Amino acid sequence: MKMTKIYEGSHQWIMFGRDENKPANIIDSNQYAVRTANRCLLLDPGGSELFAPMMAAVLHHAPVEHITDLFASHQDPDVISSLGLWDQALSGAKLHAPAIWEGFLRHFGCESIEYVPIPDNGGTIKLESVELQLIPAHYLHSSGNFHVYDPQAKILMSGDVGTALEAPGAPMFVENFDLHIEKMRYFHQRWMPSNQAKRAWIERVRSLEIDILAPQHGRVFKGNDVKRFLDWFDALQVGIAV
Amino acid sequence: MNNQTKSQFVAVASITSELSAVMVVAKEISLAAANAKAIAFRAGDKAKGFQPITDFINELAKETIELVTSINVYALSLYQLTVNEFRKTNAYNKFELVAKMSKDAPYAQSMQQPLEHAKLSMELCQRQFKRDVKQLLDQLEAVMHHARAARVIAANSRIEASQAGEYLQSLQAVAESVDKAAHTIHDNVQRCRIALSLYRNS
Repeated sequence: MKMTKIYEGSHQWIMFGRDENKPANIIDSNQYAVRTANRCLLLDPGGSELFAPMMAAVLHHAPVEHITDLFASHQDPDVISSLGLWDQALSGAKLHAPAIWEGFLRHFGCESIEYVPIPDNGGTIKLESVELQLIPAHYLHSSGNFHVYDPQAKILMSGDVGTALEAPGAPMFVENFDLHIEKMRYFHQRWMPSNQAKRAWIERVRSLEIDILAPQHGRVFKGNDVKRFLDWFDALQVGIAV
Repeated sequence: MNNQTKSQFVAVASITSELSAVMVVAKEISLAAANAKAIAFRAGDKAKGFQPITDFINELAKETIELVTSINVYALSLYQLTVNEFRKTNAYNKFELVAKMSKDAPYAQSMQQPLEHAKLSMELCQRQFKRDVKQLLDQLEAVMHHARAARVIAANSRIEASQAGEYLQSLQAVAESVDKAAHTIHDNVQRCRIALSLYRNS
């Protein structure tokens, strides 16, 4: 599992992904950690297949007892099917996840972790002095979906928005936006169901100051590529399967 | 999931299925008892010896239904325990893998506590599973007793039926159906016992 620090300031953002030992037939995913002095939040911590390499990688940055919070942008197995294992590894931790998915996510096993339901209009996660905003992203692609915005680090963890389907071992950052477009097009057209939802999200996100857009699959967008991505996504027709 | 875990899931799930068949048969016995009572009443003195037997048959059927109902609840909780054991064992195996993969990590040591806790939880589940299997086997043995008693009653019924004149055939049919039902219960419960006995001492 590769580990890349994408922000270092009063706190840190670490990206995990490109696990060389993952089974070939499961999609590669990016996991993120927000680390403060005594706490650690894992964003979309991954599927159960990825639990061991992910936990082993996190132990390079935080002890188990500092992992106090998990966040699941939505209910997909590549996002959070590891929940039942985190549930047995962590004590007194919280899972922040969409309210509408609570009854569904509990199927993965959630006995000791406290499920903190995120209402449809969003909320915040306070991690010591860091306050993260939970930005509604419903229907992008899940009917109950949130992204995480860090106003201090100016990072938007954007779940499936910004995803690219790539060959194993792809670089962590977008290097040439124009060449990257074809790796994103089909995913966004097929997985994202609603142009209306897309427009509402873009309007909301354009008002945020974003240096880094960090999706759950593929590469991370930095600097001007963030605006390029929003413009490209704005013009794209989605929901093509009907 | 390894083969032993798969077999354990199948064994526990099959108990509920076998027991629901036993329940159907026990209800059939109860119906046969009601039928026998009506025939014995019509036969009057000719089936005098048969009349108390019908009460026995009915009582036996009622007890079997009650017993199977309570065993079913137990079997469902055993299934839940199997799921828990699977989850705990899976977690322990994954945590062991984490410990192996994180040897050079600065915070590797912090995994020891969850690892030990997972091991204890897994072992506790395994012990409880064995205890519950033993108790379930004891309860199944009680159903076997009922099946054996039903066969004795069926044999007595045949003797009494032979003295019932023109009612002989009807009462013999009752005895046959009780005997057949007792066989079915015996066979189904025996299959449950064989499936479970593998796990009593595993």
